[in-house]
Amino acid sequence: MSENALVSAAKLRAVEQACGRLFDEVPCYISIQDRELRILTANRKTLEDFGDCLGEFCYRVYKGREAPCPECPVARTFADGREHSSQEKIFDRRGLPRDVLVNTRPLCDPSGQVLAAMELFTDVTVQKELEHRLHDSLTRFQNLFDLAPCFISVQDREFRVIEANRRLMEHFSWRLGGRCYQIYKGRSEPCPQCLVAQTFQDGRPRCGEDVLLDRSGRPVHVVVHTAAIRDPGGEISAVMELCDDVSEIRALEDRLASLGRLVGGIAHSVKNVLEGLRGGLYIGNLGFRDNKPEDIRAGWEMVERNVARLSRLIMDMLYCAREASPRRLPVSPAALVQEVFALYAQRARQAGIALEAEADGELTLLAEPRDIHSLLSNLVGNAIDACCSEESEGKSYRVRVRVARQDEQAVIQVEDNGAGMDEETRSKLFTKFFSTKGPFGTGLGLLVAQKVVTEHGGTISARSSPGQGSIFTVLLPLRSPVPGNAPTVSRGTTP
Amino acid sequence: MSNGKKILVVDDEPDVCTYLSRLLEDHGYAVRCAADGEQALRAVEQDKPDLISLDLSMPHTSGVRFYREIKARPEFSSIPVIFVTGVTGPTGSPADTERFYASRRQIPPPDAFLAKPIDPEEMLGLVRRLLAQGGSQ
Repeated sequence: MSENALVSAAKLRAVEQACGRLFDEVPCYISIQDRELRILTANRKTLEDFGDCLGEFCYRVYKGREAPCPECPVARTFADGREHSSQEKIFDRRGLPRDVLVNTRPLCDPSGQVLAAMELFTDVTVQKELEHRLHDSLTRFQNLFDLAPCFISVQDREFRVIEANRRLMEHFSWRLGGRCYQIYKGRSEPCPQCLVAQTFQDGRPRCGEDVLLDRSGRPVHVVVHTAAIRDPGGEISAVMELCDDVSEIRALEDRLASLGRLVGGIAHSVKNVLEGLRGGLYIGNLGFRDNKPEDIRAGWEMVERNVARLSRLIMDMLYCAREASPRRLPVSPAALVQEVFALYAQRARQAGIALEAEADGELTLLAEPRDIHSLLSNLVGNAIDACCSEESEGKSYRVRVRVARQDEQAVIQVEDNGAGMDEETRSKLFTKFFSTKGPFGTGLGLLVAQKVVTEHGGTISARSSPGQGSIFTVLLPLRSPVPGNAPTVSRGTTP
Repeated sequence: MSNGKKILVVDDEPDVCTYLSRLLEDHGYAVRCAADGEQALRAVEQDKPDLISLDLSMPHTSGVRFYREIKARPEFSSIPVIFVTGVTGPTGSPADTERFYASRRQIPPPDAFLAKPIDPEEMLGLVRRLLAQGGSQ
């Protein structure tokens, strides 16, 4: 052997040794199988983790199977002489599962005949685990996103909604890529002072309130939060907008506020009554002290007046607080108008006010008679007060009540030509505990009237102008939409 | 009996007017009543009072207007005014009422507040104090 050949052989041995070391030390499993799928050789890591497996069937070693695996990549390599890959789960000698990526390649003789197949497993157990966790958290995130009790959207700089949660999709006319202002408000251009635009500008979160329109056109009061979403480079790529539906809270606040006004109004009335009572006692006491019968009488009258006022106030309050639904009895509004006129006849005569009725005597309502009586007496009483509160020389005052049928409704109008009201007073009529009448009013009369009308499924409205008088119009359905609880319902439907 | 001091009581509640008149008259003051801001302004113009007790919670909002009007007129602006009102804040305390009116910047602050129901001694004390201040000016 020449010196060169010796050197070459030594080099070749060195390379072979290096390859063997490499084969052994490479941090994955490598084995070489024959056509019967027996393991001819395997690297050290394989021998360590799977035991002495030389000569064994690979399916038994790697999977504990008694037959070849379906879709076996080794078999495929033998069949077509090509490389193949797959993902498998194998079990080491202790039975621990390992997720692996499998690559096979043929080992051929110089003629191209496949002699053996090399199988290489890359352990991806950790990656698989991460993938699972990622999938889990994505699912969890998607669930949170969808189930969150608010409307969440992610928008680009053109306010296009690029992501939306399920709740948003359910409540609004949503389509992917639709503009936020179209979806939420049916607008054709961005809203002024858009919070999303502001967050795009400086990246800072914003919070505000807004009213959206849902797919049925109903207003939805929301508290809006925005937050910037940044790409890995720190640039703002999108803005998340979260709208929390606070409609019910707002409605509750409104109810609480009107309750507060009501209580405040009652307290105010009670204070004035109390003041009157104190005044009466004070003047009565002066009368006793100075032995002046006229002072005693005046004081006593003040006490009487204010006790009467207090009882009126309390009756009205109790009426307002009453929960029970009204009975449905046949009621003739025309007859009730006459009863109410009789009540006020003396007062009207003294004040020179004419009481006129134009009432359809045939018309019958199904209603609670006491309620309709108190509705009429409140409205007629108000009309008389309106005439009394104006002192215009030579003007002949009148209060006129009309009762007529209009389709399936009874129309009751109470009209006066008294002082009338300005717009401010008119706007407060039904909304507040409100009286223009000082000691003569409880501030509850029209609230009572409104409650009666509402409970009977009707409406009440007022028209007025200062110096011209007022018209209160009540519309009551002849057939109440609320089922009556009275036994006499059937005989009430007079044509 | 009369000390010669004239007081105008403005309140839309006739019973309250009667009460305050008798209370003040019984302590030597000459009292005149007005049921709303317009009547009150006429009364001030006819016979300038030394002090005004003004109910602010009257309907027709004329109480505030009357107050603004007299504060804007030099010949009346120095008349001490006591705000009497049944409207009190959430706690029902007069302190809330004071804050309420003080926060309305367009109205100069009044000389005193008195919450309904009126305590007669407090009313008389206030009247004496304000009239004494007025006399020393």
